[in-house]
Amino acid sequence: MSAILEIRDIHTFIGQFHILENVSVSVPKGSITVLLGRNGAGKTTTLKSIMGITPPASGSITFNGQSLVGKRPYTIAQLGVGYVPEHRAIFRELSVRENLLVAQRGSDDFERKADAVFELFPDLKRLYSLPGGNLSGGQQQMLAIARALIPDNHLLLIDEPSEGLAPVIIEQLMAAIEKLSAQATILLVEQNFRVASKLADRFVIIDDGQSPISGAMGELIGDEALIRRYLGVT
Amino acid sequence: MVRTSRNTSIVAIIAIIIALLAVGWITAGSIGNFGITVMSGLFQGMLLFLVASGLSIIFGLMDVLNFAQGAYFMIGAYVAYDVQHVGGVIDLTTTIPDPNIRFVFAVIAAIIVGAGLGVILERGLLRPLYARPVFQLVLTFGVSLVLAEIVQFIWTTTPYSWTETFGIRESFFTLFDQRFSTYRLFVIGMGVVLIVGIAALLRYTRIGIIIRAGVEDSGMVEALGINVRAIFTLVFTLGCAIAAFGGAVAAPFLGASSTIGTSFLLQGIAVVVLGGMGSYVGTAVGSVMVGLAIAVAQSAAIGTDFSALPSITPMLLLILVLLIRPSGLFGGNAR
Amino acid sequence: MTPPRNSLMQTLRENWLPAAVMLFLILFPFIVGALTDSSPMGVARGDRMVMRGESVRWQSVLIEVFILGILAMSYNLIFGFTGVISFGHALFFGLGGYILGMFLEYTGMDTGLAMVLGVVVGVAAAGIVGLIVGFVSLRLRGVYFTIFTLAVAEMCYIFFSRWQVTNAEDGFTIGSLPAWLDPTQSRLNFYYIALALFAFTYLFIRRLVNSPTGAVFKAIRENEDRAQAVGFNTLNYKLISIALAGMLAASAGMLQVILNKKVGPEVLGVSYTVDPLLMTIIGGIGTFNGPILGSAGLHLLDVFFRDATITIGETSIQIANLWGLLLGSGFILVVIIFPLGIIGTWQRWRLKARGRIAKAARPDPSMNPKTEP
Repeated sequence: MSAILEIRDIHTFIGQFHILENVSVSVPKGSITVLLGRNGAGKTTTLKSIMGITPPASGSITFNGQSLVGKRPYTIAQLGVGYVPEHRAIFRELSVRENLLVAQRGSDDFERKADAVFELFPDLKRLYSLPGGNLSGGQQQMLAIARALIPDNHLLLIDEPSEGLAPVIIEQLMAAIEKLSAQATILLVEQNFRVASKLADRFVIIDDGQSPISGAMGELIGDEALIRRYLGVT
Repeated sequence: MVRTSRNTSIVAIIAIIIALLAVGWITAGSIGNFGITVMSGLFQGMLLFLVASGLSIIFGLMDVLNFAQGAYFMIGAYVAYDVQHVGGVIDLTTTIPDPNIRFVFAVIAAIIVGAGLGVILERGLLRPLYARPVFQLVLTFGVSLVLAEIVQFIWTTTPYSWTETFGIRESFFTLFDQRFSTYRLFVIGMGVVLIVGIAALLRYTRIGIIIRAGVEDSGMVEALGINVRAIFTLVFTLGCAIAAFGGAVAAPFLGASSTIGTSFLLQGIAVVVLGGMGSYVGTAVGSVMVGLAIAVAQSAAIGTDFSALPSITPMLLLILVLLIRPSGLFGGNAR
Repeated sequence: MTPPRNSLMQTLRENWLPAAVMLFLILFPFIVGALTDSSPMGVARGDRMVMRGESVRWQSVLIEVFILGILAMSYNLIFGFTGVISFGHALFFGLGGYILGMFLEYTGMDTGLAMVLGVVVGVAAAGIVGLIVGFVSLRLRGVYFTIFTLAVAEMCYIFFSRWQVTNAEDGFTIGSLPAWLDPTQSRLNFYYIALALFAFTYLFIRRLVNSPTGAVFKAIRENEDRAQAVGFNTLNYKLISIALAGMLAASAGMLQVILNKKVGPEVLGVSYTVDPLLMTIIGGIGTFNGPILGSAGLHLLDVFFRDATITIGETSIQIANLWGLLLGSGFILVVIIFPLGIIGTWQRWRLKARGRIAKAARPDPSMNPKTEP
């Protein structure tokens, strides 16, 4: 499998703080790769570094053979990277429809993709004209993912989709993400280890701004010592 | 929670407007005078809207409170005056002898100058400073001073009062035995058209939807693949152009002086804070309220010792509203 | 972080410049007097002294520098050290001036008593106004404070330029001043009083900023949320900073009206907001010497070039007409190119020359707690 995204030795600073100190992540095409690690380890910053929101000070990020370092976030998005940030970040004052319209890149994106999106998330069709702020947490998460599906994206960066949601909703979202992986490669950040282990086929552990271990998900599931050491859960 | 606070806002708006109209009615004495007060209030409210709308949208989208907005209003007034009158920097009096048509050109010239200076300010001066918002504030303040100095250098420090008479400025219509200026009505109408037009733009066009999304979270808009900086430039330029337009249409009544910029800036800021920073509806409602309040204060202050009353009215109204609702009438989140 | 050094040596080494400047300023009237062969006391006419001569003239120039310096230093306390921007500093300056003037001219009490009461009430009022304006606006986003200060200052300006009691735009003259203070009787006395207040402001702000309270001010400037998260009530600290700055600015305003022996709405005018802003930024925000350098530099330039004219071809332009334009353009350039101002840029340059910049830019990770924003 060839890697669609290759991160090598990136260092990222936020203000004075050295958040990422040498992170390397390889995301094979068509996979669901999950970034695991404790709170504050640098998972979200890794996604933001890919998007160019917190650009890395050194190291390389290559997507489909193109370097992303030094590019502005909108250029990176236009290359086909969809970003679903933590806490959803939907536009609360805009209706569901308008939220999806903002994400359009080609003028017919919305018309082309709307049916597929609504098939994946039937709730959104029902809530079509409601302001995003009136949606429940799960619906907002669906909207945030749907927004990343409107343009043609080859890679989706999804940050903590299960955060703060009820188990039933999490099941729905997991099913949806699984379906998505047929169309796009997915790089996921997930605290909920059960969710991560069911969804992902590869993992990368981010610990204290570094990426010590990565591999196939199956290897990690059996290794309780490793899980306890880096994730603090069993 | 949101609903109830919005309801208190609407009650507050209605109460304040009724109170203003009641005071206006008492001090006016006759229905004709009252009509004059209301008309003058709406006129000033529309001029205020032309300054405040730019302030509000720019602040909402870019987090920049553009203290130079008043200076653009002032420049609009000077440019329009200059083009209209004999002996200006651009003298069109022989090329376009008809003063009515020349006025149209004067207004267009003001808009172009305002937009041009807006692009320069955003692209050249503000853009390097998005990482340092404190300095942006200081910079726009500095730019407003420099623009005032440039204007004084070109057009001297003596205020100009509009001397040329032309059709639309001079015509009147009579109602309740009172003469009303058609020009004021015309400006009010234009203001209404702009309020509705900008609202429609924000509501229904793609660019408007992007602007509204950007007001909420410009970083997210950029992460969706939209060049937000280009939108910033566009909105900033439009804001400055509208302010210059405001100055141009105000000039036949208020003339051109270096102080109108500051006074409209302060009143515009009062409107924006009172309406709720970044809220378009709040800005429109706030403009009308402040305009009416000034007109009522002007009519009440006639023949009394309180000649300063109209000038401080916007601030008094602002303080009153902020006591009721700390984040303004339509402000959702003040932090 | 820095290795401990001999504290006495360090104090001497770091303070030789302020000490030398202070000594120079104390001797200044006599130095100018000796150089220009004029008496620092003025010219004797009968049993009175008339305030004439080069030394007296230069004393006035420096008194104005002290006044602007105090104003700029007080502005720097809130803007440079606490990170809150006010566009209404003239409010405090003018309020101090008006209150002192009104005590002296309108209360009819003994001049000495009026002086003392005027100073006390004026300074206290400035502090209270600062607290009120801050309390109303600072709970909201920072920009509300900026707006409020501008609005309140402008309202006061309009109010006093229309208020008949204080003669509206014309203002009123101060006739009754204690003899020891009166700059028309002894400029030298007033020079030393202004110098003392100037030195006091400098030392006070240094002491304050280097105290634990000052550490919180700076923490607020760097990141208010974090300061709050650590457990400081940041609103209270900002209010303290604003009240103190307002009180210092009010005392500067008092010096100004005593020097002019006149109070008018111009002391509330926007130029007393713009001047400290420009002087602080050009000199270097958040530094102790920057505001002083800025105020001295700008005021002296103003004095030297106010009457100069430049001639290009056939048109000659008075510098005075261009002054605002030059000042504003310079200011914009400084904001964009040297945001740290003269002192700040110099300090950074010196740091770089010593090769410390590498450490400052990439701090030791072990020193900083990790946060994932």
